[in-house]
Amino acid sequence: MQDRFGFPDLGIGVGLRTTHYREILEHSPAVDWFEVLSENFMHTAGRPLEILDQIAERYPLVMHGVSLSIGSTDPLDWDYLRELKALRQRIGAHWVSDHLCWTGVAGRNTHDLLPLPFTEEALLHTARRVREVQNFLEAPLVLENPSSYVEFAGTPLKEWEFLKGVVELSDAGILLDVNNVYVSAKNHGFDPEAYLTALPMERVVQIHVAGHADYGTHAIDTHVGPVPDPVWRLLARARELGANAPVLLEWDTEIPPLAVVHADAQRAREFLSNLDVAGAA
Amino acid sequence: MTSASAPGLRELQRWFASVTTHPEGVLEGHLNPGRSRKLERLVTPGPRLSAIDRVQIYADGYFARLIECLTDDYPALSYALGEDTFSSLARAYIESHPSRSRSLNAYGAQMAVFCRARPEAWASFAADLARLEWALVEVVHETVDESLAADALLTIPAAGWQTARLLPSRSLRLLGFDYPVNDFFQAFREERAPEMPARAPTATAVYRQGLALWRMGLDLRAALLLKDLVSGVPLSAAVATLESRSKAAGTGEDLARLLPQWLGAWVQSGFFRGVELV
Repeated sequence: MQDRFGFPDLGIGVGLRTTHYREILEHSPAVDWFEVLSENFMHTAGRPLEILDQIAERYPLVMHGVSLSIGSTDPLDWDYLRELKALRQRIGAHWVSDHLCWTGVAGRNTHDLLPLPFTEEALLHTARRVREVQNFLEAPLVLENPSSYVEFAGTPLKEWEFLKGVVELSDAGILLDVNNVYVSAKNHGFDPEAYLTALPMERVVQIHVAGHADYGTHAIDTHVGPVPDPVWRLLARARELGANAPVLLEWDTEIPPLAVVHADAQRAREFLSNLDVAGAA
Repeated sequence: MTSASAPGLRELQRWFASVTTHPEGVLEGHLNPGRSRKLERLVTPGPRLSAIDRVQIYADGYFARLIECLTDDYPALSYALGEDTFSSLARAYIESHPSRSRSLNAYGAQMAVFCRARPEAWASFAADLARLEWALVEVVHETVDESLAADALLTIPAAGWQTARLLPSRSLRLLGFDYPVNDFFQAFREERAPEMPARAPTATAVYRQGLALWRMGLDLRAALLLKDLVSGVPLSAAVATLESRSKAAGTGEDLARLLPQWLGAWVQSGFFRGVELV
């Protein structure tokens, strides 16, 4: 396969948030690209889409979902997928991502990214559904490693083995969230570098960086910024291991002005250019 | 690879969802020895947290996320009831209205009905305020039609007035209330710390022009006229009804002055997308 499935290197982007709409529409700030939360622009015929259309005329966009529920044992929601595909076509999004998780079962949605058991049954079930979704979307699905707070007993695989197995069986992409790797490593006591080392980096289409809340006993993926240095160091390590993908900063708690979010995102250049210099030397 | 005692994926998901969305929390399960043993059998403890504490993170997140969603949709209601009462109301709503959609855009749609059925003294006021706030949410997500031209009513031929119907914009909501909730909402927006008002009938139109949301307080006679027009009553019949209502109430003297003002303001505000001459 082609690295990153041939998707372009969009540079360094930030997550599109409603608090920044006015600034973006009035001043068109210099941001390489935006990631939009798919569901914010679904189940609507109104203002969210009108704003997104204007932003799509000015910036490259990618779509990031939270409700695909790819690992659920409920049937795939084809109405949702039809709307997802139409939105992608409408805004010309470069790719569509969601999380390697489930969000509900028995017809109910928790709107949370719930953990899968790392079993062969779950791996085969999820990979089969990823293939179905990709066939329908006529594009690779890009799957993000979520942060997690529990591990199920009797699950023989490690999280990174499970992620690798799903994307290789289904020929899907990876959205590598290095903050989630950090948070889950803290919560489950594994080595985050071992996680990164095990991944097929040629499948990494995009990288997320973000901040988190550390409560001592555990960490929660709050997306509060700025991004802490250990997470930046994991980004640099992922790049060393071959994850040569565009980077996006997520900031969802106590969101500051766009200029502050964008400035923090630019720290990626600092960490990655140091790496490039070291590599050249 | 699954061990013999481990449940299958479907059973595990159903169990996890039931534990993390239980109204009384994971603790309820913990107090029940059978459920507690099951949890500790299915979930491993972490380096620093017990299995129950780990699952509780998801349970806390479930209610917090949906309460946040309802607070976003109902900021004035949240203010009016106070944080604790609103939070209790929201939890009760979540328990009786589990989300069945991939989107949260319409999650709070039933809040006004839910408030109306509450036994508390604030129920009717809360229901009115919730209806106003939900109309704002609906209008955000509604298509804005191209508006009727400002002079369109003048171009209707005389013979057409008997049958001319005004076609309402899809992004218009006309609401009648038992309480002055639009004034309350405005005072809340301006941080004037409003208190729950006395009962008094009012009417408000909620609409959108471009990206901007608007609320227009309406004279009650105007609201009845607008209600007729929006429901498809021909223009001349609606005006005749208004005149007879006003005459019966002894309030007809100023209609000749007010009627063009009302219609002009509504057309200018984009309440209508066209005229249909039947």
